[in-house]
Amino acid sequence: MPKMKKIATAVVSFVLAACSLATTAFADQPYEGYNYDWWDDPVPSQTGYVVDRVVTGLDFKTGTRYNTEAQLKEIAEEHGKQYFASQQEVDDYNAKLAVYEAYKDKLSEYTKYEKALDKYNTYLEKLAAYEQYQKDLADYEANPDGKDKPKKVSKPKEVEKPAEVKKPEPVEEVKELKANDILMTTVQLDNFSEPSDLFIDRETEELYIVDSGNNRILITDVNYEKEITIFDYFYNPKTKKYETLNNPHGIFVRHVRDEESDTDTTMIYIADYDNNRVLGVYKDGTVFQEFTKPSSEFYEDKVTFQPNKVVVDVAGNVYVNIKSITTGAVMFAPDGTFSNYFGANRVEQTAQAIANKFWKTILDREAAAQFIQAVPMEFSNFDIDEEGFIYTVTEAKSATTDVFKKMNPAGENILINLGFSDYIYGDKITYWWKNENFGSRINDVDVDENGTIRLLDTANGRIFEYTDECDLLFIYGGKGSQKGLFTTVRAVEAYNDVVYVLDSRKASITTFKRTEFGDIVHEAMSLYTEGKYEEAREPWNEVLSRDSNYWFAYIGLGNAELSQGNYKEAMDYFYRNSRPGYDRAFKQFRMQFIRDNFNLFMIIIAVVIVLGVVISKLLKMRKQKKAGGK
Amino acid sequence: MRFDLDMPAWKWPFYVARHPFEGFEDLRWKKAYSMRVSLVIVLCFFIITVCQQVMTGFLFNTSYVKVFNIVPLLVQTVVLFFTWVIGNWSLCTLFDGEGSMKNICCISAYALVPYLITQIVVIIASNVLLRGESAFIMFFQYFGIVWSVVLMISGMKTVHQYSVPKTLLAMFFTVIAMVIILFLLVLLMSLFQQVYVFGFSIYTELMYRFSI
Repeated sequence: MPKMKKIATAVVSFVLAACSLATTAFADQPYEGYNYDWWDDPVPSQTGYVVDRVVTGLDFKTGTRYNTEAQLKEIAEEHGKQYFASQQEVDDYNAKLAVYEAYKDKLSEYTKYEKALDKYNTYLEKLAAYEQYQKDLADYEANPDGKDKPKKVSKPKEVEKPAEVKKPEPVEEVKELKANDILMTTVQLDNFSEPSDLFIDRETEELYIVDSGNNRILITDVNYEKEITIFDYFYNPKTKKYETLNNPHGIFVRHVRDEESDTDTTMIYIADYDNNRVLGVYKDGTVFQEFTKPSSEFYEDKVTFQPNKVVVDVAGNVYVNIKSITTGAVMFAPDGTFSNYFGANRVEQTAQAIANKFWKTILDREAAAQFIQAVPMEFSNFDIDEEGFIYTVTEAKSATTDVFKKMNPAGENILINLGFSDYIYGDKITYWWKNENFGSRINDVDVDENGTIRLLDTANGRIFEYTDECDLLFIYGGKGSQKGLFTTVRAVEAYNDVVYVLDSRKASITTFKRTEFGDIVHEAMSLYTEGKYEEAREPWNEVLSRDSNYWFAYIGLGNAELSQGNYKEAMDYFYRNSRPGYDRAFKQFRMQFIRDNFNLFMIIIAVVIVLGVVISKLLKMRKQKKAGGK
Repeated sequence: MRFDLDMPAWKWPFYVARHPFEGFEDLRWKKAYSMRVSLVIVLCFFIITVCQQVMTGFLFNTSYVKVFNIVPLLVQTVVLFFTWVIGNWSLCTLFDGEGSMKNICCISAYALVPYLITQIVVIIASNVLLRGESAFIMFFQYFGIVWSVVLMISGMKTVHQYSVPKTLLAMFFTVIAMVIILFLLVLLMSLFQQVYVFGFSIYTELMYRFSI
């Protein structure tokens, strides 16, 4: 007993000593370029993209309205503005204005002169009266009899005679104009004001910028070479009026090809946030459809209709993302009628949600209604690919349910990872620094023509690039004020290996171009997804020679070895890189091992059986001997 | 069937494991508690936990072996075991338990044997089985745990001469006692750390004063 207490004391003291040696470390930032290893720890890795250029509205200098002169004149009349065809006309107008201003100055001078003249004249009159008085006074003093004393008149203050001013010639009156009142075809562009969305039209290579603060859409091409076209007035044939946008938040462009007449119609859908509508317009600015708050009984009256983003599928169904609706996107049929909600998120299984569920099964309905209803997070943005899959992202600080979904037309998430667990998108670890959570908040998604997925993390200003099977490729961007870092990212788009990132607060578009390393990875990846594992071996080796931390290269090489039948090598590549891959390789390896050593196994089994029989016989004999001896 | 109960001390754990109910009675009757054997079993418990972390096949290994740290494993096995023993002893001496601390330590260690044996089987099997065949591993794991728990209950019942409900209640409160003990340990440690920091700051202060 005392011995045991001694041992217990020794053990406890040893553990105390060991624990006091342990230290904790905290890294507030991962590496500049990084990737995640098997244990979800960030490891340094080469970056696949570098900053190419940063473009603001000032770089474009001028833009052109798409409207014709007649249209602009009509708009000017309707909205109380003045139309000018060219800068020359504005200059002329300003010259006229200057003349008029000069006339006004002169006129005021003249009126001043007139007043002064009036004053002088009254002075003269008073002076005459005074002189008369003095004369009368002298007469009275010389001969005071029989006369009244003249009434006293004081001497007036002396007033100078004003210099003469001629009356100016009258000039035609001209109204002064503010910058907002001028309507021109060519517009001087100042900076973007809180831009909130980007869209790339892949057929025409046009880049659409939603300039929310200035209530307009700007169109240029993907290389910023074309002059900017401005969309801000739209002709609505129903009301026969020109309408404006009010804080637009999202845009989608769709081409409809008419086979018979071989014409291509461009349809632009704009989420007009503060006007509570989605506006469908043709490229010539004519409104063809207006999607407003549905009057269906499925749409609650109290819920506002402020469209945040809009997406249209091939059939022309319009999906509208509204921040106040948690039951999914509002889906409209092509004719503008409300059809249903699409693709709601699941409810995050927090402790509270589970507790509520538990109480609801126990309590009666009235008592259960007292509990706060667990509501899924609404998604914040979406995108659609050429095959009609809709990708949604949910911007949640702590929730991990349905952060990113790929949905089929029925609204089911098809990225369910075989039911093992949910994928983790964005940063795999959450950083806490000075009581603030720096976990990823994904607020935009882009799927490019190769199926590469890019997620935009607004908390840390990072772009996470994934393959179409959700394997992480690259992480780039960051938070800061230097070139290539961001403050408030709002949108990401990619076209031809160039990534466009829109920063709302900086009011700029940053383009990233792919590095050589990125090119090699993408080449290997496209071969890999096609199943050409053997052809992908060379680029994967190249990737590893440049960056040995690039974990997906090991999976690629493991698959190459597996396809060649080198199971042992494949297992080595898959070890601590891919469990499914290792499983496949190990299955083959085990099968081959048993086959190769079949004779050996048989011999071992035979020997074991023989030995077992012999030993049991021997034991029996011994027992019998013992029994006999007794 | 008759059993020869005059066996060496190391055979007792296996005998007890094969006879969950009368095994402990025999053990009590024969007073065959061996501290040495039970300490060896606890050591094995620790070693097998380490092996399980390091040697489990890649397909079934979920532990973070990138940075191998032995301290948490030590806490999970040895410290937890002795906390269990101390907690149970301090509780049951108050509630008419007949077991001494040595008895409790021995039967707790003997009850671990089936778990340890199945754990060895699991470690070996995890290196030759595929993910699709994980049912075998799960079976062995649960089998070992259930067997050990049954042994532990039976042992506790015998060593304290309790009824079954009282045994279960005592085990439940032992767990609570363990939590309290560990909490006090952590508290003590943080207090000592603060005392240390206090002493160290005085020392540095003095050093600054005298060096100038």
